[in-house]
Amino acid sequence: METLLQQVINGLSLGSVYALIAVGYSLVYSILLFSNFAHGGFLVIGGYICYYTLAAVGNNIWIASLLALLGAGVSAVLVERVAYKPIRERTNVTLYLLIASMGMSIVIENIFVVTVGGRFRALPPVIPTNPVNVFGLATTSAFDILSLMMAIFFLSGLQLFLSKTKWGLAIRAASYDLRTAGLMGVNVNQLISIVFFVAGLLAAVGGIFLSVRYTLYPQLGLITIKAFVAAVIGGLGSLPGAVVGSLILGLAEMLTAGFISSQMRDIVVFGMLVLTLLWRPTGLFGKHVAEKV
Amino acid sequence: MADPILRLENLNKHFGGVHAVKDITFSLEQGELAGLIGPNGAGKTTVFNLITGVYSPDAGSIVFKGEDIASRKTYEVVSRGVARTFQNLRLFPRSTALENVMTACQQHFRYNFFEALTHMGRWRNNEKSIKKMSLDLLERVGLLEVAEQAAGTLPYGHQRRLEIARALALQPELLLLDEPAAGMNPEEVHVLNGLILNIHRDFNLTTLVIEHHMEVIMEICPHIICMNFGEKIAEGDPEHIQNNPEILKAYLGEEVEE
Amino acid sequence: MSGYLEGIIILICINSIAAMGVSLLTGFTGIFTLGHAGYMAIGAYTAAILTVRHHVPWLVAVLAAGTLAMVIAYLIGVPTLKLMGDYFAIASIGLGETIRLILENWQSFTRGARGFPGIANYTTLPVAAAFFLGMLILMRFLINGNYGRAFKACRDDFVAASLLGFKTAHYRVLSLAISGFYCGIAGGLMAGFLTYLQPIMFDMQKSTELTAVVVFGGLGSLSGSIIGTAVLGIVTEVFRPISQYRMLIYGAIMVIIMVARPEGIMGQHEIGPKLLRSLFSRKTVNEVDGTHG
Repeated sequence: METLLQQVINGLSLGSVYALIAVGYSLVYSILLFSNFAHGGFLVIGGYICYYTLAAVGNNIWIASLLALLGAGVSAVLVERVAYKPIRERTNVTLYLLIASMGMSIVIENIFVVTVGGRFRALPPVIPTNPVNVFGLATTSAFDILSLMMAIFFLSGLQLFLSKTKWGLAIRAASYDLRTAGLMGVNVNQLISIVFFVAGLLAAVGGIFLSVRYTLYPQLGLITIKAFVAAVIGGLGSLPGAVVGSLILGLAEMLTAGFISSQMRDIVVFGMLVLTLLWRPTGLFGKHVAEKV
Repeated sequence: MADPILRLENLNKHFGGVHAVKDITFSLEQGELAGLIGPNGAGKTTVFNLITGVYSPDAGSIVFKGEDIASRKTYEVVSRGVARTFQNLRLFPRSTALENVMTACQQHFRYNFFEALTHMGRWRNNEKSIKKMSLDLLERVGLLEVAEQAAGTLPYGHQRRLEIARALALQPELLLLDEPAAGMNPEEVHVLNGLILNIHRDFNLTTLVIEHHMEVIMEICPHIICMNFGEKIAEGDPEHIQNNPEILKAYLGEEVEE
Repeated sequence: MSGYLEGIIILICINSIAAMGVSLLTGFTGIFTLGHAGYMAIGAYTAAILTVRHHVPWLVAVLAAGTLAMVIAYLIGVPTLKLMGDYFAIASIGLGETIRLILENWQSFTRGARGFPGIANYTTLPVAAAFFLGMLILMRFLINGNYGRAFKACRDDFVAASLLGFKTAHYRVLSLAISGFYCGIAGGLMAGFLTYLQPIMFDMQKSTELTAVVVFGGLGSLSGSIIGTAVLGIVTEVFRPISQYRMLIYGAIMVIIMVARPEGIMGQHEIGPKLLRSLFSRKTVNEVDGTHG
C-alpha cells in the first residue's frame, strides 16, 4: 500500500513535469496546427543555461532559473522567426513545418553535442531531494513535492495569463481561427512569438526538473516524445487535456515501473498512444475539425 | 411512364442544432435537366452531399435507379453512376488536366495489380483507351490545348470546365453540378450553358444543377426546385418559379444577379 | 573497385529501396511517416534469424523478410490509417519505437541490445544492384498507371478521390503495405551486408533519415528519393572525419531546404524526357504547391 502511494506521488510528480512540456507544445499546436518537434530543444537549452549559470554564480538557483527561462523563451522565439516564419508565410502545408522542426531539433541537440560534449552532467544539488514524510502514509522526496508545486504554480500563472490579459485573450481567439484573429486586428506575428516564448519558458522549467531527475545531456529533449504522447492522449490543442494526459501518463509510467518492470515503461507509453489513436484520436478533450465539402 | 431515376423522399439532415435539410422530397425523370436554386445556406450542397454519400441522412430515402442509396458509401454511389462537381473546385492541382480526367476515366478500364506492376496483360490497351477517352473529353470541353498543363495553373473558367470533363469521364447516369458558373462573367456563362445543353443532349444524362446565376437556370432548366432554410419552398417550370412570391421573399435582401 | 567504394554503393542501393517504399507512401500517397525504420528492423531480424538459426537460403529469407514486414504493415495500417496528418505521424513514431523496444527487450529471440552477429555476407554488389533495379522498375511501373493515379488522388484530395469512385482507405493501406515490403526487403539485405544487427540501428534517427531523403528529393518524385539517398550516403562518407558535425549539418540542411526549396531537388519531376520538356516550359507543377485553396 505504501509502495502504491509512493508510486502515485512519483507518477504525479513526473506527470506534472510532463505537463509543463506538453502544455507548451499543445499551445503551439492550437495556434499553428502543427507538431513542433523541436520543442524538446527548448527544454535542453533551459537545462544547460541553468547548469552553466549555477556554475558561474555559485549555485543561486533563482538567478539560474530566471536566466534559463528567459533564455529558453528567447531561443524559442528565434527558432520560430528563423525556421518557421518563412515557411508559414509562403505555404499552408504543415508537413514542411513538421520537417523543419525535426531539423531544428537535430540542430539544437547537436549544437550542444559539438560545443559542450555529450556527457551526462549532474546539476549541483540546489533543489532539495531529502525524504519527506507525507501525512505519515508514505515517504517521498522533497523534489517530487517541489516539482509538483512548481508545475501548479506555472500552470496557474499560464491560466491567469490566458484568461485575464489582453494577449491571453488574443491567443484564445487565435486558437479558434488564426486568420480571423488576424483580421480582427491581432498582430499575428507578435502573437506567435509570444506563444513560442511562453512555450519555451515552460519547457525550460520542465527541463530544469528533468535535468535534476535524470542528469543533463543533449538528448534529454527526446523525452518530449512522452510529452507529445501526453498531449495526444489529452487531445492535441487542448491545454487542460495536456495536463490531464500528462498526469495519466506519469502515473502509468511509474506504476508500470514499480509493479511490472522498468523496461515495460516505454512500451506502455507507446501502447497508450496507439490505443488512444485507435479508440479516440482526438483524445480526451481535443477538438475535431470537420472539413467542408 | 418509367420510374424516376432519382427520388428523394422526406430527406432530413441535422448538424448539431442546425436542421440543414428538412423533409426534402422531389424526383427526377431519366434524362431531365433540372435546377436546384435557393439562397446561400439553403442546404442545396448538403442535398448533393447526401445523395453522394458524403453525409448520411438522419431520416428519409434516396432512391436511385430503384435502389435506396441513402446508406451507401461514396465510392459505392459513384460506381452506381452518380458524378458531381464542386462549389469550391476540387481538382488535383499538381496533376495535369489530362491526368485529372484519366484518374476518373480509369474506373471503366480496369486492370489488376499484377498487370499494373508488370505493364503486361490489359495494361497497354486499357491505358491507351483511358488516354484516348480523356483527350476526347478534354476536346469536348475545349481544353485540349492545355492537356499537359498543371490543373492548378489553369484560369478559373478552364478549371470549372475541367471538373465537368472529369465528372463526365466517370460515364455517369446522373450528373450533379454544384454552381458550375460561379465566378464567371456573362460571356463565359453563355458558353457554359451551351456546354451543359450539349452534354445533356449527347450523353442523355440526367443532370441536376445548383446555381445562383438565374440566366443559367431559367434558360436551360425546364424543371426547377427551390429551397430555403433546408425546406423545399417551390417546384415547377421557369414561368411558375419566376412568379412565385415565396421565392421572391426568399431572395429578398439577396443580390439576384441579372 | 575497392571494397570501400563497393560498400558505399551497396549501402546506397539498400537505402534507396527503403526510400522508394517511403516515397510511395509519403510522396505519392501523402501519408507522412516517421517510423519506417521499424519495418526495416523487422525485415533485418527476420532474414538474420532465418538464415543463421534455420539455415534458410538467403534469397528466400530476404523475400520472407519483405513479406513479414508487409503483413505487419498491413495489420497496423488497417486501424491506424483513418488518422489524418499529424496524428498518423505521431502514431508512426510510437509504432516505430515500439518495434525497436520489442526487439531490444525480447532478448531470448533477438539477443536484444547485445547484438545479433554471424549473419552471412550474402548482400554482394550484384545482389544489391539487382534488387535495386528490379524493385525500381516495379515501382516505376506501378506509379505509371491506374494505381499511381489512385495514390496521387488520395494524396491531393481524398474527398474528391472518393467522389471519383476510389476506396481511399483501401489505397492508403495498400500503399503502406507496399512500403512495408520495400523496407522489409531493404532490412533483409542490410542484414546480409552488415552481418551484424542491433536494434538501435533502426531507431527514430533512421526513420527520420528515410523520410528526410524523400522530402529532399521531392515529394512525388521517385528519382528524387534515389538521388536524395545517394547524396546522403555520399555526404555521410565525406563528412565521416568530422562526424560529430555531420548531424548538425544534416539538421541544418533539413531546415534550409524547407525554408528555401520545400519541393526538394526534383520537385515532382522524374528523370526522363518529360523533365527536359518541362524545364523549358513556363508553367510547372511546382508552382501550385500548397498555396492553392
